[in-house]
Amino acid sequence: MTDERAILHVDMDAFYASVEQRDDPELAGQPVLVGGKGQRGVVAAASYEAREFGVRSAMPMREALKRCPKAVCVNPRLDHYRDVSQQVFEVFRSITPEVEGLSLDEAFLDVTASIGLFGDPVSIARRIRADIREATQLTASVGVASNKLVAKIASDLDKPDGLVHVAHGDEAETLAPLSVRALPGIGPRKRAELASAAIHTIGDLQSADADTLRRLFGRYADRVRNRAHGIDDRPVIAVRDDKSISAERTFSEDLKQRSEMCEALAALADRTATRLRNKRLLAGVIQVKIRQSDFRTFTRQCRVMPATDSTEQLYQSALRLLDEWRAEHPDQPLRLLGVGGSRLVSDQQPDLFAAAEPAGDKQVDRTVDAVRERFAELGTAALQSARTLKRDD
Amino acid sequence: MKLTVSRQALLGALQAVIGVVERRQTMPILANILMQAKDDRLAMTATDIEVELQSGCEAQIGMAGDITVPGRKLFDIVKALPEGAELKLALKGERLSVQSGRSRFSLSTLPAAEFPVIDDIEATQTHELPVDVVHRLLDKTYFAMAQQDVRYYLNGMLMETDGGVIRAVATDGHRLALCQAELGDKNLPSEQVIVPRKGVLELQRMLGDQGSLTVSMGKNHIRIHSGDIRFTSKLIDGRFPDYQRVIPAETGNYMVADRDTLRRALQRAAILSNEKYRGIRLEIRDSGAKIMAHNPEQEEAEEQVEVEYSGEDIEIGFNVTYLLDAIGAVDNESVRISLNDANSSCVITVPDIDQSDAKYVVMPMRL
Repeated sequence: MTDERAILHVDMDAFYASVEQRDDPELAGQPVLVGGKGQRGVVAAASYEAREFGVRSAMPMREALKRCPKAVCVNPRLDHYRDVSQQVFEVFRSITPEVEGLSLDEAFLDVTASIGLFGDPVSIARRIRADIREATQLTASVGVASNKLVAKIASDLDKPDGLVHVAHGDEAETLAPLSVRALPGIGPRKRAELASAAIHTIGDLQSADADTLRRLFGRYADRVRNRAHGIDDRPVIAVRDDKSISAERTFSEDLKQRSEMCEALAALADRTATRLRNKRLLAGVIQVKIRQSDFRTFTRQCRVMPATDSTEQLYQSALRLLDEWRAEHPDQPLRLLGVGGSRLVSDQQPDLFAAAEPAGDKQVDRTVDAVRERFAELGTAALQSARTLKRDD
Repeated sequence: MKLTVSRQALLGALQAVIGVVERRQTMPILANILMQAKDDRLAMTATDIEVELQSGCEAQIGMAGDITVPGRKLFDIVKALPEGAELKLALKGERLSVQSGRSRFSLSTLPAAEFPVIDDIEATQTHELPVDVVHRLLDKTYFAMAQQDVRYYLNGMLMETDGGVIRAVATDGHRLALCQAELGDKNLPSEQVIVPRKGVLELQRMLGDQGSLTVSMGKNHIRIHSGDIRFTSKLIDGRFPDYQRVIPAETGNYMVADRDTLRRALQRAAILSNEKYRGIRLEIRDSGAKIMAHNPEQEEAEEQVEVEYSGEDIEIGFNVTYLLDAIGAVDNESVRISLNDANSSCVITVPDIDQSDAKYVVMPMRL
């Protein structure tokens, strides 16, 4: 992997709040909180004026108003944000098709192949910021780096309205002085653990010896060391909407427990995998869609090799993605979950060892499909994995 | 450390190891090369933790010593010096001074003690093997290794000894390549190791065609001495699938074709196959074989090839790349493809299957 990549992480500044301030000039310069006003409302977005009072998104609205009593509360207008987001993503796609959206206001772009057309990555970043401003009168912060991890960290270094470029070769040095909290997946609990081992900055992590890392991170020690050095070879996975198969569910009551999420995910993985098998397709990318109770929506995806239509593998991958997301967003109740497969390939090329390898899984999938075909009027309810059943069902 | 060495000797030694010096390394010291000067010899070691290469050259040692220096930089400097040049290397404080004619360089160093050398692989057995035999085993099978497969044990090559036979097997799950060699009167214990993909590719680069090499196997490593070069690779810790099970039994149903004619016809047809799936359809009758390809734009290719075939008519689909890789690796004027039915894998060999030291199994595509 000597091929150098140019990755951009574009993050709209206080997106929902900025849209509201743009649309209502009276809100400009005011502390603005977007979110439900009721007893259980949470802050979906806070303008930078409000953040100065210590207000953060995902904070209970009551708490936010206690810290910043003068704040103006605005009900979220999600359809409107979606429209604005589409304008922003159109700007991205005018530069490259390699766009991996993470939510309405955040995306990774792999612009490696666009350099010949639009100039060096920093010029591309400037152009994107200018085009977004022209199209939406909103500002975005952009991180430019050789991989996703560093680009994401960089976009946060000079927010709002910033542009930070970390040249290839400078990754480890740039990360060294930052708190370990800048690394994704290191939550408050892990941070406390690290602090007791005198590890506060990413630089401390870089110089930690192998035994310490192994003790703290177990089998992830190598990955953490790589991440601390700013090494990350995850590809930007562009999801093309037209070619994916997915299933999602909105919950009548928000899910709070991981066990409930597992149940839901298992049922969704089952539905998606069954559809894949019915269409004789295999998914090379598995994604999860996650919506918080404040309607903020995220997608996370990973590649799978070889491509798969196995219920078990879809479930395992989706669960891993959800767990990773939860490490970044601890204790968030979920309103909706979705499981999808994309990068679909035909199942035309059978595997030499397919009969042998996950033989059990394959057999189970086939049997389940056969039973459901027989009792077609019951749909997936004809036969379900015990994992998807609630205890009192 | 202080020594004098000719550019030619040093360049040769550096060239042999520079391939594993990583450009994006997790530990700064992996960008460095370990230099060890002792007894009229300068040894050079490079590693990416997974694969380690060591080489050496003659040198006049003024003062023995060990140090590490940035590998790429030293290599680029030595390469750019004029032919016939002589270099004086001396450690001054924390810098390595390199002097040749009117050129002087001062390179940063890191202590040799920090360099991760795989010293003792705790070999349980050691064999001497002909270089050309091992080289052939790799050349005939490497292309079928998987790349970044989640089945991590497929991202490498199985090396197997059994009595008088040494065998290499590689597979990505869609096709499988096997090549074996008889080692005359040798009686080797049954042993299986999986050498990671990167190790296989480095080994291929390093091996010549003559002489013999020494292979040592430890629990976690394989080490090969060949000429002046010592190659060490971690082994993939996993169980290779039972490949014998996926090699179909001989059915007596096979076609024989002129290798180059078949290969060219497949190459032409491939141009109009689906770029992603690379599927072609093969219709085999006793009157000859027809190769057909088409793509989503509905462009079509059709090729007729003369073949010897006496079995039942068969229509079967293949990924043309897999066929071409396998047919390309058969060194004979004609090639034999043994078939069973449209859903079963085929075996590609030389016409006299008993004379065949290499076998290629290709899984068909569903049409």
